[in-house]
Amino acid sequence: MKKVYIYTLFNRFWHWTQALLIFILIVTGFEVHSTYNLIGYEAAVNLHNISAWAFLVLIVFAIFWHLTTGEWRQYIQTTKLVKEQVGYYLTGIFKGAPHPTSKLVYNKFNPLQRIIYLGLKILVIPVQVISGFLYLYFNYPLGGVELDSLQWVAYIHTIGAFSLMAFIIAHMYLTTTGHKPTSAIKAMVTGWEEMDDEEIHERMVNDIEEALLKTKKQFKGGNEKSQDLDEALLTAQSNIGSKINMKDNRFRDAIASSGVGYFCISKEGIFRDVNTAWINLYKYDTKEEILGNHYKLSRTEEDFFELEKSVNRVLNGETLNHGEVKRICKDGTSGYHTLTISPVIVDHEITGFEGFIIDTTDRRLAEKELLKKKIRIDEELNSKK
Amino acid sequence: MNKPILLIVFSLLFSAVSFAQDVEKEQLPEETRIEVKNYIWKSERPTSSQADHSTFEILQQDFATGPDVTEACITCHTKRDEEVMATSHWNWERTEMLDGKGEVPVGKKNILNNFCIGVAASEATCTRCHIGYGWKDKSFDFTEGKNIDCLVCHDNSGTYKKGKGMAGHADPSVNLSYVAQNVGQPKRENCGVCHFWGGGGNNVKHGDLEMALLEGTKKLDVHMGIDGEDMSCVDCHKTENHQMAGKLYALSSENKDRATCEQCHTAEPHADKMINSHNTRIACQTCHIPIYAKANSTKMIWDWSTAGRLDEEGKAMHESDADGNHNYLSIKGTFVYDDHVKPEYYWFNGLANHQLITDKIDTIPVQMNSLDGSYADKGARQKTDTPSKIWPVKVHRGKQIYDTEYKTLIQPKLWSPEKGDSAYWVDFNWNESAKAGMDYLGLPYSGNYDFVETEMYWPLNHMVAPKEQSLSCKDCHTRNNGRLASLNDFYLPGRDKSNILDGIGIALVILASLGVLIHGIIRILATKRSKA
Repeated sequence: MKKVYIYTLFNRFWHWTQALLIFILIVTGFEVHSTYNLIGYEAAVNLHNISAWAFLVLIVFAIFWHLTTGEWRQYIQTTKLVKEQVGYYLTGIFKGAPHPTSKLVYNKFNPLQRIIYLGLKILVIPVQVISGFLYLYFNYPLGGVELDSLQWVAYIHTIGAFSLMAFIIAHMYLTTTGHKPTSAIKAMVTGWEEMDDEEIHERMVNDIEEALLKTKKQFKGGNEKSQDLDEALLTAQSNIGSKINMKDNRFRDAIASSGVGYFCISKEGIFRDVNTAWINLYKYDTKEEILGNHYKLSRTEEDFFELEKSVNRVLNGETLNHGEVKRICKDGTSGYHTLTISPVIVDHEITGFEGFIIDTTDRRLAEKELLKKKIRIDEELNSKK
Repeated sequence: MNKPILLIVFSLLFSAVSFAQDVEKEQLPEETRIEVKNYIWKSERPTSSQADHSTFEILQQDFATGPDVTEACITCHTKRDEEVMATSHWNWERTEMLDGKGEVPVGKKNILNNFCIGVAASEATCTRCHIGYGWKDKSFDFTEGKNIDCLVCHDNSGTYKKGKGMAGHADPSVNLSYVAQNVGQPKRENCGVCHFWGGGGNNVKHGDLEMALLEGTKKLDVHMGIDGEDMSCVDCHKTENHQMAGKLYALSSENKDRATCEQCHTAEPHADKMINSHNTRIACQTCHIPIYAKANSTKMIWDWSTAGRLDEEGKAMHESDADGNHNYLSIKGTFVYDDHVKPEYYWFNGLANHQLITDKIDTIPVQMNSLDGSYADKGARQKTDTPSKIWPVKVHRGKQIYDTEYKTLIQPKLWSPEKGDSAYWVDFNWNESAKAGMDYLGLPYSGNYDFVETEMYWPLNHMVAPKEQSLSCKDCHTRNNGRLASLNDFYLPGRDKSNILDGIGIALVILASLGVLIHGIIRILATKRSKA
């Protein structure tokens, strides 16, 4: 059993502040709606308005966070496994079946969550914010602009509030469906979620998948390479959801055929391990040439500076899907690859970082056949442990 | 790297909270003086520098009549007579624009009400409240300056009064030279002698203007309370060249020359912005005059149709209710009085209309005067310089004589010093009195009359309550029976909701809860079974 850092500090701060503000907004909002008398109408109005402003500030920061960290990708819609996820909640959960998807750094949300949370983000919250600020400021004229009538704004705002309540009820309940009933809440408090070895594997597969996807995006048109990637992707995808078996030949071959290089570096920046694909990509002959060296050696100076910033983030617990980077090979030539980096965690402590690189230089095409035969990713994965 | 962001977010959130606390701190402690403009506080006012009129030789004579006094006044206050003769207090008439009727002469001389109906043909008694001497009929000369009664407004001795049925002349008991030597700025007593007693008794008409204000405390009226600023009428009803600010919408129609709260208090007198913004659509009076007739009762209903019941000796009689208010008078009919009355609320944009005596009756109850306004009267559609506001209004309901054939209201002749002059209050004959009244005005009367229900609207402005007694949010923002329950042309938060949408919303929440509950129970049972 290992713990994996899933939620960053801001992520948690954002979640709980939002939760608190929504709670206050609902309680005071329904007092303004005359559903009950609790703290007094005037106090309810004032508290509601202050909370609304605080919420708006939080939203601005959250949008910034989503954009800069790439978290927005969590909300990319997918149709895969929606059926399985629905089926799990309807039947599987009662039989003690495993989750069809697990919580991963790249894939925190299952397909249903993606749908619901995106709905929350683009529908309920903006609708509430926009209708709320119209309600607050354009009932009476502001800058010569005023609503013709408050009625529809108020209706929309009210039904939005009911929808949020329904969401919160379901949301709170579903937090109990994790590994243990409290593990999801604990994770949202501490940032660390317990995962078993299989889930760790799955996470790696997912890392690879993400990297593959990203690489694929960089190829335009249906060239040979793109088809290879598709195959790898298909295989990887077919593995997620079922019990991942890293020894599965099809998967291993797929990863291998896609030419994914693996590396593991200590937190001091010293190479601990690389796989054969990596060695080939960097045009080294043996592992020993690399191990013990600082990763600086394979970067230009300005690239190193950029990379160091990313590494520092990873060492703080984040997992990054880096864009395309330039590498300096042993012979001084250069190449390009995409890069994923995630922290290596041993006993709650980050001891280094590891990741996968996927070549994006055209030269890779020629070497593909060769690489296919050499890579044994399962060994690398096992040796990493 | 998240820490700077967090710091900023935290500081913003905390600043929002501390801002809220600041708002609370800004609320004034109980006795702190509020901020006003265009007003000098009593404690800072210079002591009166009014001239001592008793030292003036011209006033040291025995005046035989009121006009003699006026002539003496004008010797020093030259041309003031011309000013006075240009006022509505003198003419009881002005030309104003009525919606759909064009420019019409309105004013007390022309407009009917649902109290004593109108002055025409009964001037000699009604003009006891005219600022002139001798307006007993149409022959009165409105261009003669010495007919002005300076004393009724400027008497500071408290001994002046006009005689009953004397067309505005001073009561014979008054020592005119004593009064003339003791004149000054009008006080509440001067205005009150007419404005408190309109409709034939104290507080009958307005409901918020009555003699209790002479010696009332701040509890009765924060402005006039003798334990406070003890303000006089003219402190608000600013006067220049004898033209007084202020409109009475029982008689006038246009949105001009109004005396307003804002002239001293500004449009944003509260520390709370949300409350200030209410002023866009809600008159100050709405919250600050939660009840009227706080001391003596005011007349709410006047039914003329029961008038004329005489006692066994054939004489006029009166009956009183438990509070000592008349509830029946042979000359006037049946009344209902009330005190501590909650106002009714109407949209009002400063424009009023009137049922002219020549207008056909097309609505029942007849709207004697109607206040124009609606929620939608705002923005590009607004008819005056401000949107309609919600106003507290005293609505006086009546039943009065009308011509069943011509479908117009009737001006009956009510008063005469003697019998046989067709005056209803003496002869108790409606037909004769209607004929005499309409003849006097040169208007047709078919000979057939009956009584019709009428309504008259009196926007409230006085008896402003101490702030602790102002309306609070829940007086209006409440689901049922709120103050604004009858104003239904707009969405009011806390009062209104869509039953359908709320129903859907509640169903949604219940379904979510049930779903969660059932799902949870099945999960627990399933876990137990698998363990077993």
